[in-house]
Amino acid sequence: MTEEMDYGVFEVDQHITAHSRYYAGWMGSHFYIRLRDEKKIHGVRCESCAKVFWPPRSTCGRCFSQLTADDLVEIGPEGTVETFTRVDYEEPVHPRRAPLIYAVITLDGADTGMAHFLGEVDFDRIEIGMRVRPVFAEERKGHILDIAYFKPV
Amino acid sequence: MSQTNMPREFISVPMTVDVPYRFAAGKYLTRFLKELRDNGRFFGIKCPSCGRVQMPPRIVCAPCHVRNEEWVELGLEGTLVGFTVMYLPLTDPTTGKPHEPPFVYGAVVLDGADSSLSHLVNVEPDVEKIKVGMRMRVVLRPREERTGDLSDILYFEPAAGPVQD
Amino acid sequence: MKRNVAVIGGGQTRHAARRQDVNQVEMVNEAVRAALLDARMTMDEIDAVLVGNMEFFEGTHFTDCWLVDGMGAYGKSGLKITTGGTVGATITCAGAHHVASGLFDKVLCIGFEKQEEGDTGAILSGVAHPLYGRSMAGAAVGYFAMMGSSYMATWGAREEHSAMVAVKARQNARKNEYAHLKLDITIADALNSRMLAYPIRLLDMCPASNGACAMILADEKTARDRCDKPVWIRAMDTAHNEQFELDWSDVTTKRPIFSRVSAARLYKKMGIGKPAEFFDVFEIYEPATWAELVWYEDLGLCGPGEGFRMIEAGKTEIDGPIPVNPSGGVLSTNCIGASAMLRVWEAALQIRGEAGDHQVPREVRRALTTAYGGTNWTVLIALSAGLDD
Repeated sequence: MTEEMDYGVFEVDQHITAHSRYYAGWMGSHFYIRLRDEKKIHGVRCESCAKVFWPPRSTCGRCFSQLTADDLVEIGPEGTVETFTRVDYEEPVHPRRAPLIYAVITLDGADTGMAHFLGEVDFDRIEIGMRVRPVFAEERKGHILDIAYFKPV
Repeated sequence: MSQTNMPREFISVPMTVDVPYRFAAGKYLTRFLKELRDNGRFFGIKCPSCGRVQMPPRIVCAPCHVRNEEWVELGLEGTLVGFTVMYLPLTDPTTGKPHEPPFVYGAVVLDGADSSLSHLVNVEPDVEKIKVGMRMRVVLRPREERTGDLSDILYFEPAAGPVQD
Repeated sequence: MKRNVAVIGGGQTRHAARRQDVNQVEMVNEAVRAALLDARMTMDEIDAVLVGNMEFFEGTHFTDCWLVDGMGAYGKSGLKITTGGTVGATITCAGAHHVASGLFDKVLCIGFEKQEEGDTGAILSGVAHPLYGRSMAGAAVGYFAMMGSSYMATWGAREEHSAMVAVKARQNARKNEYAHLKLDITIADALNSRMLAYPIRLLDMCPASNGACAMILADEKTARDRCDKPVWIRAMDTAHNEQFELDWSDVTTKRPIFSRVSAARLYKKMGIGKPAEFFDVFEIYEPATWAELVWYEDLGLCGPGEGFRMIEAGKTEIDGPIPVNPSGGVLSTNCIGASAMLRVWEAALQIRGEAGDHQVPREVRRALTTAYGGTNWTVLIALSAGLDD
């Protein structure tokens, strides 16, 4: 190459900030309204598959049946810990500072699990199969954190 | 869709994603940006096959698929080939600050280049006064304010000389 | 093509500025169910599901995972593709390749955008080169504005010509029950609308729409057995431009080359000498009015610099000799991920004679559709009523 000169390395730091708004849709809105106003957790039942899914959805992913608001069923409030972990490192995008404990909880009556925080419990005391119940937030706004966390029964 | 499906309100959740990036300029663009930052010079690269002078310099000429190695210094003046008067406050994504409307934005082919460079044009935002073919000159920021980015160019402004057709 | 491919069904949502009543899954599902109904098929029969949108426009990644339930994709083969505005046609092209290859018989193609949910300006700024352009990101409007001002300076067109395109599009859209913007506007309305970036006014630009489109592509045997009016995909072509904006060879009219290159190749593949006579209807991707005039020229419907004379003479009206965008086009409905697929679906409706009030009043046997990606490429698709057309 002509004029061989070492210009070194050149890097630039930039960032992109994007604001979005996710709509829960009609089925999701039912779920969040009932959670916020009644402190009740719902799943949706597919008649064909005889399964109850959380979160509620408008189409059954397995058999493609159209589900309706009439298919919503209350699940929990108690549930069983399927698996859990404690996160000990931090990233800016994490919802909480470390250490944070979260689990996959299958609420009574549901066939799929919910990922959520565990609180009021020592990490060493948690076991798969443990029974837990939700602690609702004082101020609820139609958000998954209207459930603040789950704690041992 | 039956009416009983419709909830009485629609729930939504706002979210902000803020992602940091670090981009590497690579060999050719590093040289281009450092020459701009340190020496206030613009370079293009000439394709040995089609003779086109490309700015910014690319290692390969896209249509010819041939390695380009001949660096060509370009003039600081050029010809306006397209422009618009912006009435929307566009935010510079790298600073987060908007350019206040109305302002003129245009594409200039610097003397010696075959590709164009788009930037702010420092003229009155009056379409009667701006013409494709006008001669433009680059105005750079002072050396201590330059960082090796297109914003090292403050703007284009009209240069003396006849309008080119 | 190794095997013939036909569109045997399709559907679209009613495109709108606000769709708060559905999430992305539910919105896509509306189009999917409409397509299955139109094709008289069940989801079990579909072999692969291909989906596309403008990446990260909704602030969500892995759209193929998110949408699995609504797309019926659970357990099925498929792909997700993101190619900017051209994605609806890229998906169609990929779907056609799937079927033509002989590896799949029935493929569901989906394009969507839930535009109200995302920060399109911020994400679009990511298209500009980070070290050479991002600080000056002029957004889509600036890009088309420069195209317009350059076009006027080069060829002597006037702002009225842009207004004529705007009026044609919205008046056609009034005849399309699915279109987003159905505006009863006049030339004066267009010329008086708010100036965004000279010479582009508000009515010269496309809207941001929420919507989805789905189509089912099938092999010849399935098409003949199951569909009364299969619409055949005869040829496709795409050409990538040089890198976004920076390297265009033809700087004088700020026009990208992809459209000319791919049109020339497609015509050569099909042995077409006079596209204006060969095709009965055109559905082109025009994000702004000036882009439509440039398409007329790049598609060879007229000579260079004559695009504005075509609209002036009314040649591209719905009842004209060269109808362009009887659906109302992208200027009336722009759910970006679906827009390019809507061109194909609308062309298919024209060939089937099922476009309702916006059906062009002549026999339609051949159609040409185009797409436009912010990454500066396109997929052109030629469709016909019969394999001998």
